[in-house]
Amino acid sequence: MISILRRTSLALTALLLPLPTFAELSRLGDEALSGISGQGGIYLSGDISINEMGGPIENSYFGRCDDADRKCGARFAYRLKENGGWMVLDDIRGNFSFEGLTLRVRTVDSGFGGDGELFNRDVLELGLPNTVRFNDVQFKISSSSTARPTDPGFQQTDIFSVDMRGDVVMEGSLLVFPAGNP
Amino acid sequence: MGAPNSIKPFALLANGLVCVIIAPWVAADMKSLDDSALSNVSGQSGLSLELDLALTADRLSYFDDGKGIHLEGFRIGSAIDPSGQAFHLIRVDIEADASLNLNYLVEDRRIEFGDIRLAGAPGVSMGGIFFDHSLQGYLNIRQGGFVGGAGYTFDSAYTMTGGRLGYRTNGNEVFLDDITMNVEALGVTLDVVGDTLALNAPRVTGDWEVGAIRYSSNPLNHGVSVDSGGGQLLPSYGSLSGSYELSSSTGITAGGRSGEGLRIDNETVIHSASFLYRDDGNALALRDITGVYRINDLRVDVATDWQNRPALALTLGSMDGEFSIGAIEVGGDGKSIGQVNVSFLLEDHVFDGRSYSNAVYLQGGGHPDAGPQGLRLATEWSLRLADFSYTEDGNRVIFSGLQSWGQGDVTVNVTRDGVSSGTEFFDGLRIGFEDIRAGYRINGLRVGSDDAPLQGGTELLLALGFYPAYEFELDGHITLGAGGASGEGITINSDVSIRNGKAAIIAVPYDEGNGEIPQKGLWITELDYDAHVRDMTVDVTQEGLEIIKGEAWSTMDIGNLRIGNKESGRSFGRFVIQKYETGSSMTVVPGGAGDVCAGGMGDSPSACSASGGVWETRGEEGLTVRLKQVLAKAINEARKNSLTWETNRQTSGVGGAINGTGTSLVLNDIHTSDGGDFDGDGVDDNSFGLRTDLSVDVYQTRVVKKADGPDAMGVVGNRGDEKIMDGSSTAGYRYVSNPTIAEADNRPLGFAVKARSQFKELSINTIDLVHPVGGAQTAVYGVKMQNFDIKANLTATPIP
Repeated sequence: MISILRRTSLALTALLLPLPTFAELSRLGDEALSGISGQGGIYLSGDISINEMGGPIENSYFGRCDDADRKCGARFAYRLKENGGWMVLDDIRGNFSFEGLTLRVRTVDSGFGGDGELFNRDVLELGLPNTVRFNDVQFKISSSSTARPTDPGFQQTDIFSVDMRGDVVMEGSLLVFPAGNP
Repeated sequence: MGAPNSIKPFALLANGLVCVIIAPWVAADMKSLDDSALSNVSGQSGLSLELDLALTADRLSYFDDGKGIHLEGFRIGSAIDPSGQAFHLIRVDIEADASLNLNYLVEDRRIEFGDIRLAGAPGVSMGGIFFDHSLQGYLNIRQGGFVGGAGYTFDSAYTMTGGRLGYRTNGNEVFLDDITMNVEALGVTLDVVGDTLALNAPRVTGDWEVGAIRYSSNPLNHGVSVDSGGGQLLPSYGSLSGSYELSSSTGITAGGRSGEGLRIDNETVIHSASFLYRDDGNALALRDITGVYRINDLRVDVATDWQNRPALALTLGSMDGEFSIGAIEVGGDGKSIGQVNVSFLLEDHVFDGRSYSNAVYLQGGGHPDAGPQGLRLATEWSLRLADFSYTEDGNRVIFSGLQSWGQGDVTVNVTRDGVSSGTEFFDGLRIGFEDIRAGYRINGLRVGSDDAPLQGGTELLLALGFYPAYEFELDGHITLGAGGASGEGITINSDVSIRNGKAAIIAVPYDEGNGEIPQKGLWITELDYDAHVRDMTVDVTQEGLEIIKGEAWSTMDIGNLRIGNKESGRSFGRFVIQKYETGSSMTVVPGGAGDVCAGGMGDSPSACSASGGVWETRGEEGLTVRLKQVLAKAINEARKNSLTWETNRQTSGVGGAINGTGTSLVLNDIHTSDGGDFDGDGVDDNSFGLRTDLSVDVYQTRVVKKADGPDAMGVVGNRGDEKIMDGSSTAGYRYVSNPTIAEADNRPLGFAVKARSQFKELSINTIDLVHPVGGAQTAVYGVKMQNFDIKANLTATPIP
């Protein structure tokens, strides 16, 4: 059972990553298979946007989105080596919307081909919305000599860019539960 | 009445004078009697009594079953001159209907107790109280009460000016200054019904104003508005005003919870009321207040508390009521946040296997290091049930099934800056908490109406520090100082320590309609939390309610993050969150999100619709909270921002995990910045911080069925159908594949939160992996996030 849940969780974690090629998974339908304790929970609809018009910094590098000479997206930089270079997700922006993202705590004690009864534990269930609509979600993967693009000696190489738009099918649930020694 | 008729006028006269002068036995200082003939008063033009009164008594004592409470340093006299007299002028008339009429004028009177002590508690006392006022009014007394001829009926009206009501401990004072008040109470009856004295006030109206709430730390000041040293006006918390119309009935019976004492029962109906707090002219106003409350079996005894400490005991049988506040306005332009309704029931109840009741045991002493004078309230409470509902633009959300319980000591002292016996004190009214073991929980949200299904949604308020359930052991204090960021206002210094806390991040209902069940959820347990705040100012500004933290640091050590049961649920491990903020702020602004394009993009209905969104006009009311968190760079191990996740800990002999024995992931020295040193002081600027705006509304939303077949309530629909509310359906709703415009108007209501988070730069200095034997290894040498502006529109509804 745990292995099935782990596989499910892994697959759904992968689905959460914005890779549209995973859209062909068949429906899990575990709703009807498992006992549910507790009616609370929430059903969330809405949208999230990142740097729709630009971010709060205005300088020689960052600007508003109608300024073609500057980047208006967000920037995320990290480095794995002391005094090394920086890996960068740059110019991150976009908007995605969804209907029916659910969140609740539930007990799984049945279903999953009989494994649920053996599992018999509480899980945090993130019920995925059936579709997520992406509007111009984009970012660049780059390497950079400095963390800030305004630091002296700044040099950056953009390795590739990602741009996503359209509907992505995300079905099933992401179940989160503790494992191992806390 | 068995008294001879000739005695009646004198009996009434004596009664009246008791009401006007608290100490009627003092006739020594009467100056002149305009009418000397006291006989044959009836039908005459009346008499006038003029007196200058100065009265002192070392001690007034009250004994109950042999236990005493002593009011010491009792004085009635002039408010201005400590050795002076208060002027009284009373005109006594017998009216044509044989009623007694007293017109009175009282000028410059102070009534005070220097101290209040309990027998059996040597060395400590409750502190002193003083009450200054000038009065002008009348009191009319006639025979015949509410139930017949044996009682009395009173009509009274008066105006109070120059009022002052203060509390003093150890030379420091907090007082309401410059009080004016108008009161009219007509047809008040007093009867003896069985063994109960029944006081019935069918209509009491009034208005009042407090010019300032002042604080003094100068022992030479006593009941004065201006500091005797510097000549400056004493600092003020702000001013208050209000009006009311109410009716009440009160029963007073002899007999305490045990033996002698007093029993009070009361029912009060508030027909209308208002309350305004003003800070430098900007108001926080509660308007159109109505409500009712019933006090059942409140007993007053001189007794001992659960630790056998002598106390004045107020023990309550039960109290219930409900209030409605028609509008909560804040800020300069009088915009309303919305309406609030509260219903509550305080009565004995068993929580977590332990019975709680409602009682306050008043004792002397306060915090032991603050000096001998202060108040200690040994308190136990049991809020069996309360519903809190919030309505904005006609839409309602109910925080349903709020329960709270607890026991512990609350101390009250007026303190001044300084360290005494190792304890740090601050200027202001100090409210201390000692060994309070308490908790609260809510059953869930209901949106729209009382019978709407329970749902989650409080998760969206976690950013404001609101947990849907919380149990804790609390020690610490909050000290409210006078004066805000500028002028009037409040300055808060606080040190709080929570032990053995259990707080829910997500909680399912504790009662789904079939009785109480263990509340499941995602819990932070074995929580130790230390939080410190310095110079936090609270002001009402033109914009709204503004809170600015000078410096704040805290450590939240979560022993286990558990899922399921809070006691036995499996754990994700230990989390330690350290916070260090300077100059953070929170502003509460009336008005919600306004016009919103939900699920799409665009500034107009057509552009929004074209992008696949739904244009929502969320109205004028609502609530917006603007948070600014300036995460400062680490200055030491105690004052920094960090997050630690520890797992694989060793277990102790009793099965608990031993903190510090496992492997940890540490996000060290997390801080914000403006992205550079722009003011040239050699340090990166850090004033923008992490800004989050949260707008809360109650609004309709699209809810789509996620699977074919029946839902949890048995209502059948197809995947992709919309949920439409329909009172004619058994479940109150149905599913529609393509709703018409009329049907779309009946979309379900949700708890709508519009959030926007921005920061210029957020850095993590290092991410380390720490092994208990091998030590720390740095995995990531720095993370820097820049230029983020994240907007989210989320609407929470029940899971269909």
